[in-house]
Parts: sequence; C-alpha cells; structure tokens
Amino acid sequence: MQPERVSYRGRLLSRRSFLKLAGFGGGAALLAACAPAGTPAATTLAGTTVPPTAGTAAINLSFWTPGGSAVWCSSFDTIAQNYQQIEPDVTIGAAQCYTGDQSFNEVLLATIAAGNPPDATIIWSSPVAFAVRGALEPLDALMASSRYSQLENWPGGVLASCQFRGETYGLPVTAGAYGLFYNQELFESKGIPSGRADFPTTWDELRRLSKEFTHWNGDTLETAGFFPWSNPADPGSAAVELAIWSALNGSQLFDSVNLRYTLNTEQNIEMMQYALDWLDEEYMGDVVKVTTSGNWSGSPDAQGRPPAFQDGRLAMFTNGNWFTGDMYGSALAFERWDAGLFPVGPSGSNTASGYWPNWLVIPKGSAHVQEAFNYMDYIAGEGILVWFANVPDLPANLTVPSDLVPTKVIEERGQAFAEDIQAFFRGQLDVATPMWTSPVQDFGNDQIARAIMQILGKQATPEEALTEAQELCQTELDGALAVA
Amino acid sequence: MSGFRSPWAHLSLMQRREARAGMLFVLPWVLSLLVFTAYPVLASVILSFTDYSIVQTPHWVGLQNYQTMFTGDPSFWPAVRNSIYYALISVPLGLVASLALALVLNMRAAGISIYRTLFYLPSVVPPIASTIVFIVMFEPQSGLVNTLIRLTGLPAPAWFSDPTWSKPGLVIMSLWGIGATTLIFLAGLQDIPRSLLEAAAIDGAGPWQKLRNVILPLLSPVILFNLVMNVIYSFQVFSQPLVIGGTTGAPFESMLMYMVHIYRNAFRYFKMGYASALSVVLFAAVMLITLVIFRSARLWVFHEESGPVA
Amino acid sequence: MTPLPDRISAPEQAATADMAHLAKSVFSPAAGRKLRRHVLAAGRHVLLIGVAMAFMLPFVWMVISALKSNDMVFSQPIQWWPNPPRWSNFLEAFNYPRFPFLRLLWNSVFYSGAVTIATVVSCAAVAYGFARLRFPGRDLLFMVTIATLMIPGIVTFIPTFILFKALGQLGSYVPLIVPKFFGDAFFIFMMRQFYLTLPGELADAARVDGANEFRIFWQIMLPLVRPALLVMAVFMFLWTWHDFFGPLVYLSDTSQFPLSLGLFAFRAQRDTYWGLLMAAATLTTLPLVIIFFIGQRYFVEGVKLTGIKG
Repeated sequence: MQPERVSYRGRLLSRRSFLKLAGFGGGAALLAACAPAGTPAATTLAGTTVPPTAGTAAINLSFWTPGGSAVWCSSFDTIAQNYQQIEPDVTIGAAQCYTGDQSFNEVLLATIAAGNPPDATIIWSSPVAFAVRGALEPLDALMASSRYSQLENWPGGVLASCQFRGETYGLPVTAGAYGLFYNQELFESKGIPSGRADFPTTWDELRRLSKEFTHWNGDTLETAGFFPWSNPADPGSAAVELAIWSALNGSQLFDSVNLRYTLNTEQNIEMMQYALDWLDEEYMGDVVKVTTSGNWSGSPDAQGRPPAFQDGRLAMFTNGNWFTGDMYGSALAFERWDAGLFPVGPSGSNTASGYWPNWLVIPKGSAHVQEAFNYMDYIAGEGILVWFANVPDLPANLTVPSDLVPTKVIEERGQAFAEDIQAFFRGQLDVATPMWTSPVQDFGNDQIARAIMQILGKQATPEEALTEAQELCQTELDGALAVA
Repeated sequence: MSGFRSPWAHLSLMQRREARAGMLFVLPWVLSLLVFTAYPVLASVILSFTDYSIVQTPHWVGLQNYQTMFTGDPSFWPAVRNSIYYALISVPLGLVASLALALVLNMRAAGISIYRTLFYLPSVVPPIASTIVFIVMFEPQSGLVNTLIRLTGLPAPAWFSDPTWSKPGLVIMSLWGIGATTLIFLAGLQDIPRSLLEAAAIDGAGPWQKLRNVILPLLSPVILFNLVMNVIYSFQVFSQPLVIGGTTGAPFESMLMYMVHIYRNAFRYFKMGYASALSVVLFAAVMLITLVIFRSARLWVFHEESGPVA
Repeated sequence: MTPLPDRISAPEQAATADMAHLAKSVFSPAAGRKLRRHVLAAGRHVLLIGVAMAFMLPFVWMVISALKSNDMVFSQPIQWWPNPPRWSNFLEAFNYPRFPFLRLLWNSVFYSGAVTIATVVSCAAVAYGFARLRFPGRDLLFMVTIATLMIPGIVTFIPTFILFKALGQLGSYVPLIVPKFFGDAFFIFMMRQFYLTLPGELADAARVDGANEFRIFWQIMLPLVRPALLVMAVFMFLWTWHDFFGPLVYLSDTSQFPLSLGLFAFRAQRDTYWGLLMAAATLTTLPLVIIFFIGQRYFVEGVKLTGIKG
C-alpha cells in the first residue's frame, strides 16, 4: 500500500534550496547568537560614570564573589560606587555574584587556566591551597605600602590562613569566629546557672551538663544537650570544627609551621575516643538514631528540617558569630541565648577557638594587580562598613572600629547585649587556633570527615581511622608540595 | 588508480549515490566531533596520565593515577559499589515504570492530554527547586513518604539519615524523573499502526498477547534507546547525591556516587588528572556494558533493516 | 507545522464512541461484559489519578511554598495550604534586585529557542543518515557518537573552555548555541531509533520511482517521525530552560543571564530565601507548562493526519 504523500504546504524543496536555507539559517543564528553579548565589565553602576582625569586611561576592574544573597551582592555595588568617587580613574564592573556553591570553583579555576581570571575575587575556600599551586598573586609588597592592610593590622592566627612559606596571598576581610552557643532559658528551666561565667570550662563538666538535657523517647531523641563535637549529620562542618577541639585538647590537626599533618597524635586519638565514649553513654552509641530524630544544628538541613537549637530542643552547639544574626532566620522558641568559651579537654590547658573567613584574593593572570589590591585594601578598611551594615560578619582588620554591632542583635536583644556579644567574638579571634592553612585543605577536610564517619559509625577505631587519614593526607600534601 | 582498492569499488552506482548522500547528511555531526569533541576528549584521556591541578601545567605521571585508583583510594570502591547499586536497580525499575505509564497514557480516554501534562510536571520544575522538594518528601519524621508508609502500618525507614536506606531513597526519587523516558515511549507507541493491533484483536489476541507480539517488537528500537541512555545517565547521577550527602557522601559514604567522586577530585582537591583517570575508567565500563547490550539487541530488537549493529 | 484540518480531536472522538457504546449496550445480553469494561475504565482512572497526584507533588509543593513565609516552608507537619497565603511573594520575587524577570525570561526564550531549532534541524538530518543510508564507516561512527555520551562533561569542561577561549568566544552565547547546529549525540541516537521503526520499503519504493535521497528524507521520512521531532523539541527546550551551568561558565554580563541562573539570586551565603525562591521558580515554570500542554496535543494529533502505514 502506497503511503500518503504529505508535502509541506505543497512546496517541494530541492536539495540546493535546502542547503541554502540551512546555511542562511545557520549564519543568521550565528549573528543572532552574538546579539545579546554584553560588553564585559563595562557596565558601570547606576548613573555614576565619572570621566577619567586627563592623561590617564580609565582602568576596568572585574570583581567576583562566589555567591550570596541579593542584598549582599548589591552591597558590593554600593562599595564600588563609593570607591569610584575616591578613585575616578578606576571603574569597577558590577560584582559578578555566582551561585554560592561548588560551581564557583569550577569557573574560577577554568578562568585562571585559560588566562582571563577576574582582577579580584572573594573566595570561600583556603587561599593557601590556591597559593601553593601558583594561582594567586603574592601581596606582601602591596600590603606594606597600603593604607589599611599592613601585616600588623591583621590578627596573626587569622592571617595564617593566607600565608604559605612566609608570603601572604590573601586578605581575610571578615573572620567569623566560633563560640559555643547555648539556650539560657533552657538552662534556667533546669535550675542551671546560665551566665557566661558559669559556663563549663572542661569537657567533663560539659559532658555532665549535657546529660541534663538529653532525653530519649524510645528510639527517638527528643531533646539533646551537646553532641560531641559537631552536628553528626554534617561531617564536612564537623571536620572544619575538629581543629578547634583538637586545640582544646592540646594538639592540632595540621602543623602549619612544618607543613605536616598531625592527625593521629595521642591527644587526637584521645579526643575521638572521648567522643565515642560520650556517644555510647548518652546517645545509645548510635549516630543514625540521632540524625534520624532531628536536625541538631542551627539552620534548616538538606532535608529541610527546622533546626533543633531555635526550636529549643538542643541546649548547646558550636557555631560562628554570623549565627547571632542568622539565628533569627528560623522561628525562635525562646528569647535569651548566649555564647561561651570552649571548654578545655583532658590534655589541654587553654581555651581556643576557630574562624571561617571570607578571603579577598588576586588570581594569577589578573590584568591590574596594583589597582585591584588598592580596591581590596579599601574594602578591608572602609568598604567593610557597608558590608557589615547589610550582612554582619566579623571584620578582621584591626583598623576597623571595634564598636560595630549587628542591627538584628540590637533589635532582638538590646544595645548592651549586642556590644557585649560582639566583643566576646572579637576576643575569640585572639585565641583562635590556625585553621585553613593546609595546601591540601579540602582534601584533608574530606578525609577527616571520613575518619569521623568511620569512628562514629563504629567501622574503625579512632586510632585506625585517624592513622589512615593521616597517611592519605600526608601523601597528598607531599605530592602537592613537590610541584609547588 | 591501479593497485589502490577504494572502499567504493564494490558498490553499485545507486549504492554510491546513497553513500554520498549518507555522508552528506552526517557531515555536520562529523565536523562537530572533530572540532568540539575530539580535542576535549583526547585532552581528558591524556590528562589522565598526568598530575593536573588545572591552574598549573600538567606533569606526566604515567599510570600512577590508575594505580592509586585501585590500591590507594579508600573511597574508590565504595563509589563504584554505590554507582553499580544505583544503576542496577533504578534502570530496570524506571524502564518498566515508564513503559507501563506510556501504555496507559496512550489509551484514548477523556482528558488524557491533561494527564500527560501532569506526569511531565516534575521535569518542568527547575532543578534548584525540585531537588529540595524530593528530599523534603523523604524526611523521616513527617515527610510525605513516611506518612504514607505509616498509614500502611509498615515501619518507616530513616531514608537519607540512614546509610542502609539512603540509596533506596535515591532510587525511588529517580522514579519522578521517568517523564522523559515515558514521553519517548509514548512517541514510539504512536508509530505503531492501529491497523496491526486491530488485526491482532481480530485474530483473538488479548491485551497481553498484543503487548508481547505486536507492541514490544515494534517498540524495541526505542526500548533499546531508553535502556542504553538510562544506563549511561544512571552512572552519571550527580546533583541529587551531592545535595543530600555533600562532597563526603554522607551518611557514611552511602551517597558517594562515582560522579561525585570525580567532581570532588577535579574541583575540590585540585586533582583533575586523577579525575580524568576516573572518567576514563567510567567510560570504559559503560562502553563495555553498552556493547554487551547492543550485542544482545540482535536477539530482541526488531526493525526492518538488517545491519551489523542493531 | 501543517495546520489542523477540520476534525474533532481524538479525545472527543473517543468520548463520543464510549457514549454510543454505552447507549447501545445497556440492554444487550453482552451488558455484563460491557459493564466489566467500564469498571476497568473507572479503575484505570482511579489509578491514573493516584499516580498523577504522586507525580504532581514536587510541582504542588513548589507552588504552595511560593505562598509561604520563609520559616513556614519547612514546617512540620507539612502545611498543604499556607495560612495566610503570601501572594506578595510573587510580587517581591518579580521586583527582586538581580532578578529582572522579563529580561531573564527573554534571554531564556532566546537561548532555549535557538538551541531547540538548531538541534531539531541538525539531528533530524544527521540521524537519518545513520539510520537509512549506508556508507562506509557508518556503524563505527555511530558507536563513537554514543561513546561521546559516556564521557562526563565535568572532565571535558576545562579543555572545552580553553578551546573557546582560544576562539575568542567567551562572554557570549556562541559556545552554547553554535555547536548545537551540528548535532547532539543524544538526539541523534534517539532519532535514529525512530527512523528504524519505519518500514524500509518506503525508501526503496521511492528510489525506484527516481526520487533522490534528500527528497525521500524531506517528503516521506520526516513527516512520519513527527512525534519524535516534537518530543525532541520539547525536551531540548525544557532542558535548555533549566541549564544553568553552561550560561554560568560562558556568560559574563548579567544582562545576558537566563532564568535558570537568575534563580540563584535567592540564595544567601549560608541560607536561602525559600519562599521567594519558590515563587520565582513557579514564575520560571509557567511558560514551560503552557508550551508543553500545547505541544503534546500536537504530536498525538499530528500522527492522525499522515496516513498510517498499513
């Protein structure tokens, strides 16, 4: 049976006309594809096109951030605008705000490899790892002649996160400091003194205190005191914070002076064994039961569960000073909270803390190193005030007035408390243990996370897991240093 | 021209014309392969023999990456096991489900076009929203899935908090993505002449026989396509495990899929050379599986033209 | 696309047929069998509705979350209708800085539209070459085509990026659109399989009549695979609509961004504005739902117009 012949609207196209059409269509599409091509980095901000001074060519800077809310990204536009009033020769493109996740690294690395990186950028992972591989410009000479960013204007422990073999490769403009947040009203309901001075000073005290709050209903954990050492459902963060607990027990995870990993020291093994004993005693020895029962952190987790701390079901947990504002992103079941110093472990003697900075760096291949650094210096010393007004974090540069206080905290808890808590976190920066200093930081973090998972999941003893991680990390480190 | 045996020598004039036309038809694709694909793919293969941090020039390490993979990377075999588990279970499940769905949606019934839109809705939701939606549904305490399970009296697993249940959860989640496969089956079902089905009915065939003897054979090229593509893509599952388990594959590395492992080595650990080696191994494995499928296809894929490949 | 002639649609036809049958059969001796058929039909509807509801969940969740304030989005147990519904979320999302909806929408339409046209035009032709035209090296080339799908894009990404940098095409849509004019492996594979479901005699008969290969392709084969062409168009449009990584990497000017990238404006450093994000995501989705609903009617209707091969 002959099939019906269907022709498109009765016209029969010859092969030649089809090829012509296709070629034309292709060409037209090529042209069209160029159509919405914007002029890169020439977009100036609303209205302020200040003409360059006679004789100087205007310089265009591109500035990136890994992500952030629209408010945060817009604040960079304001900072740029202010800067351009001072330096009319420089135009700064609208801040290129990325997706806030790992994709940013992909793009940044690709542009550095291809030779067209941004002139300056914020990064959320350790500059040391980038610097070891020659991906960042050294800044010491620029810092020495700068307005705000001399070496002595930065807290030493925090600046260590940007330094490798004596050279500095980034500016840690904000450095969120860690503290032990606790629910004062929950304490008082159990008749426990809730002032900061009464907070536990040793691990044994913390452990005893935690038992007061932990309550199981069958296999469901209803309320908890404190989980050693961090939210068990987030081994990545736990690996970051483990550096603090290691320091509290008199050791460290990474020796930045000698560039060696020190994961399986006696104290670190002791620390993990302590956590394991605590888990067995208070949490039925079963992490899965804990994580199934709820979200034991301060922000909604990947499953969207509301955080237990704001719900009043978690008495104490580790977090950074940004939490003083972020806390209010979820409904709060109580009003009064505070943060305490980290208690000291059996082998430790002094309290310690940690930090997580936003780093400003200049990628290798940046076209305007000096101008980019001038802008970074400005952000570190002055622009940070605009930043802080929109998204409060802890400015690290010591020239920044220390009486900056987040408005959200003033709203909720009053001026006096806000100043006090801010001063507390500034103090925490002073006792911060060096973090983010490893040339294989992210690899190391994931191996530490894996070790934590194995230990808490009873698949390996603390000694086995930490030793395996130690070997892997040290091998990786040696490899990275060999080609540095 | 003597002594040189051109491949065209044995073809008739008509066959030569057909061959010329054929090559002209595929010419654009060949160009694309040469320009846009050959270089990146070759580069990746070569990079697998190097230590490449992306921001430094690669330096040659020979087979070291492959050695490390099989002996020095404690996360390698867990990643392989996780990916095989996921592929082995989600692919057959998805194929059967989407074929069944396509058969149902192919029926002429009132309002069927509305149903078709409804079933494709999950694919319409942007990934940034849909990923979190699916994960929220599996929340152990009061998520939708467990609420329904508890209604039947069965114990409700902890899904993404429990290493034993996280992969099954991921597999179930993958069922929401059968919209594309279903649609392809649906289009394939359209091509089955109704006259054939009517003739079979007249011969006394019931619905099951119609399925076995008419629909499945005529649909088999499309089944082959969906099978191969779903196998390929199941080994590349990436964004959902990454959101659920992070770069550590929590809980307890159960969510560490092979692609996540490649990804974190490439862009987190500065080990693009090793990531390339992992990709080469993945490619080899999937290629092998695909070749086996194509071989087997000679037995069950039916189409009008016989050729060396199904 | 050929215009629809004056016919009643298939669903209407079916409904009328059902009604007629019902009327005829109610009092006949075969009433029992008819009743069974209708019970089955009702059962089918119940099943469809149940499964459809499960499928719709992500979409429904997205829309109701769009009406909630941030802290209500993940409340337990899940609130099926927010009280009170925040319609203002939509307005706020529309006016959100760094989410200029209309411009993002236009960019998305441009990007998805261009890629869809490019893909449909190229793949329809290239796949035909693989399916129905014999030429030396065809099958090897086809396996190579499938092989390109097995290589993770993550790894080929860096060399590809460097390639486009060398061609000077960063900062525009060119790297994203132009390669699509030369074919896309997935759709080449898919279309080839669809061409293989068509009987081979069609082409042979036409050749005997003296038609050249191109006329056979254009006038005979292409109209018969229209459902597949439409599927390809719908898929490509949809996937490109959601593609954020390509634009993320290759575009530098925010005024070029498509909707998929714009959605990330609602993510903060450590948090996400879920209510607003879902509202924006819903806005992003609406054009797709409309297009899909219109489109999927056509490829069912379309086959009814061309003579079914018998």
